Amino acid sequence: MLPSYLTMAAILFCIGLYGALVKRNAVVVLLSLELMLNAVNLNLIAFSKYGVVPSLTGQIFSLFTITVAAAEAAIGVAILIALFRMRGTVNVDEFDKMRR
Amino acid sequence: MDKWTQTAWLIPLFPLTAFLILTALGRSYRRAGVIIGSLGSLGAFAYSLFILVDRLANSPLDYNKSFEWLAIGSYSLRIGFEITNLTSLMLSVVAFISFLVQLYSAGYMKNDERITVFYGYVSLFTFSMLGLVLSDNLLSLYIFWELVGVCSFLLIGFWFTLPKARAAAKKAFIVTRIGDVGLLLAILLLFWYMPEHALDFTTIQSVFDGQSGAITNGITTLIALLIFVGAIGKSGQFPLHVWLPDAMEGPTPISALIHAATMVAAGVFLIARTFDIFQDSAAAMETIAYVGGFTAIFAATVALAQNDLKRILAYSTVSQLGYMMMALGLGSLTGGIFHLITHAFFKALLFLGAGSVIHAVHTQNINEMGGLSSKMRVTTWTFAIGALALSGIPPFSGFWSKDVILAVAWDTNPLLFVIGLATAFITALYMSRLFILVFRGRPSAASAGANESPAVMTLPLIVLAVFAAASGFIETPWNGWFGKWLTDGPEEVHASGVAIVGSVAVGLLGLYIGWLVYGKKRLSLAARQEKKPWFVNMLERGWYIDELYIALFVKPLKLLSSMLLAFDTHVVGGVVRFAGAAVSTAGRTAARLQNGQAQTYGLAAIIGFVIIVVAIVGRRFLP
Amino acid sequence: MFNIAFTGEFTAFFVFSAIMICGAVLMISLDKVVHMVISMAAVFLGLAGMFVLLEAEFVAFVQVLIYAGAVSILMIFGIMMTKHHAGETEPAKPIHQSLAAIAALSLFGVLFYAIRTTTFPEPAVFQQSEDNTMAIGELLYTGYVIPFELLSVLLTVAFIGAIVLAKKEAD
Repeated sequence: MLPSYLTMAAILFCIGLYGALVKRNAVVVLLSLELMLNAVNLNLIAFSKYGVVPSLTGQIFSLFTITVAAAEAAIGVAILIALFRMRGTVNVDEFDKMRR
Repeated sequence: MDKWTQTAWLIPLFPLTAFLILTALGRSYRRAGVIIGSLGSLGAFAYSLFILVDRLANSPLDYNKSFEWLAIGSYSLRIGFEITNLTSLMLSVVAFISFLVQLYSAGYMKNDERITVFYGYVSLFTFSMLGLVLSDNLLSLYIFWELVGVCSFLLIGFWFTLPKARAAAKKAFIVTRIGDVGLLLAILLLFWYMPEHALDFTTIQSVFDGQSGAITNGITTLIALLIFVGAIGKSGQFPLHVWLPDAMEGPTPISALIHAATMVAAGVFLIARTFDIFQDSAAAMETIAYVGGFTAIFAATVALAQNDLKRILAYSTVSQLGYMMMALGLGSLTGGIFHLITHAFFKALLFLGAGSVIHAVHTQNINEMGGLSSKMRVTTWTFAIGALALSGIPPFSGFWSKDVILAVAWDTNPLLFVIGLATAFITALYMSRLFILVFRGRPSAASAGANESPAVMTLPLIVLAVFAAASGFIETPWNGWFGKWLTDGPEEVHASGVAIVGSVAVGLLGLYIGWLVYGKKRLSLAARQEKKPWFVNMLERGWYIDELYIALFVKPLKLLSSMLLAFDTHVVGGVVRFAGAAVSTAGRTAARLQNGQAQTYGLAAIIGFVIIVVAIVGRRFLP
Repeated sequence: MFNIAFTGEFTAFFVFSAIMICGAVLMISLDKVVHMVISMAAVFLGLAGMFVLLEAEFVAFVQVLIYAGAVSILMIFGIMMTKHHAGETEPAKPIHQSLAAIAALSLFGVLFYAIRTTTFPEPAVFQQSEDNTMAIGELLYTGYVIPFELLSVLLTVAFIGAIVLAKKEAD
């Protein structure tokens, strides 16, 4: 069953990647990042059961990841709100400060 | 061997120091500039005079001192100086003329803004010429030879704001450069063929003088002719004479310096210095003699039709240098050098006199002058002495030196004797024309307000007039002392009645005809100016040599260079521009990637990552 | 791979993965941002189901709690705070879009190839403890206590930072 789970995770990861690269709305980009993190979680859990040495460590690790992802989502949304207040938009392609 | 001779290398350092000080001082020290420049030449003159006196009194052996300059493997290049009778004489003459010219320039250039620069250049010029004279080998001689060329370029183009002066300076530089290539090739050939690659004059003398057979006859002729090409360029011989008349665009004292002491003398001096090579090759000698003879009569005819005071004198210089070359070609070192010395005096005198006239009347056209004799007495008298010396009237110096040459020619080559006589006749004719038009007759508008030049200008004239009158007596047909002293050979007495009578006769005849035509107005002035036969036009244009060169060399060269330019701009430049445009286009394209958007960067990173992974994974599918 | 017996786990996996892929694709392709968040919640729920399949009940629980609950609500708040007519206009960058698609597809290709060609060794028999939650709790407070505490610090910092960032500048 392991390859099926891994393939599933790869599909999720790639869809998330595509969304993160293409979507204009910053909130959607954040969502896509969450999707990618979830794909990673799926991998961790799958290996925790079907890995060479199955153990609970994978689950612990995925718990940590979920925590970090939750913190990341909170900070990200806060940044978006601050940005929106400054620039009046959350369209990613209107943020090109790095150009200068 | 006294201490003066042993420290002769100090002589060129006087004007060099003057040049360095003047360059350091800048333009503001006008009076100090004059004094420093003149002192440099005076010091050099005094020093070389001591040496000359010593050599005249004791006639010691030649003194040569050199040190090793470069050692390449087993070959060592030595550099040093040599004092012979010839070099000591040349040193004195060069320094003397240079000093007088600088003294004179104090008056002539008084109002010029860059007088300090002028004195610096003249000092450098003097230094180069003295160094050239002192050199004991061909290589250092060549270095100074080029320095002389540079200085003449600087001084002819001294008034570089005038386009004509610029053109003349460039022309002088380029034309003499053609000759310099010949000299360089000669030096290279000598280096190749000489035993132990020696380039110093002592070895050259012993190799060629002893008929050692170390160098074959053909090579000797080739080397001699190439050296002669160098001399042609510097001494303004046909066909490279074209720069000399144009060089009149420079200040008049410079013309005197170039024509008497420094630039043109270098060519004659070079041949005199390497005379042993020439004596080994009859063909080369003959070439020199005929080129010299042709130049003499050719330039004299041109001088006849010029209207510019300085250009007449310039062509006269070309003609007289032809005389010297002819003498050298006929094997008479004495005649060549003797004429060089006397010519240095009277031609410097004539040029300085002409400068004095131009200074007074502010024109160079002799048709606009006239009647100056009553207003400028010193100039008139000294100029008359110079003109008589140039025309070869006894007892002035020019007569004696011309007589030596004509006597040699009478003995060896009748054709050249005739040419020499004809040249002497034409010389007398154009000098009488010049003198009468400038100083006699009714005063013209331009000469109405003319005044005698200040004493600082007339003093050199008087000194030079004394020398122009008297310097001929060191070698007379009955007394070959000078030739004996100079060449260290047997005393030649060449009293040739034909030569004496002939030269005096043609000289007087020339003067008389000139007086008839211009003085007594047998040919009215109006007729002279309106009716210009085609040959007068031709003479005025200098036999159309300049036009010929323009059509023959300048135009095709310009065509070639414009073709090359087109190739360069369109093909070479096109490639370069294409390369530049390609890079900048690539840069612009790449710059669009840098649009400041994180998503684009992320995409690029992902693509790069995928490519790397594919490349690594794909390796296993390769054989 | 097609001769797999239709066990219960496989059937459940199939259903969950169908839900997740549908959710993910919908999230990418829907227009309204709110709809996107809701389809995303479907993905989170499907994932929680998969965690249950993998005998990680506690993680599944946390997943539902944090992702399907907190994060989704947070995102909806974010949408409400930033863009009221929340809608995704089509990006006018076809080259960028297709390049991204190619990159994502080829990355998936590479991953899929790697998964398919790897032979995974047979796992040792994993004796699940009776109470998954208790086992995780024991581990967290024994072996992983330091990362756990660090993580709590991180959460505190993130929480303060979020407040500072979102606070009005005018104050």
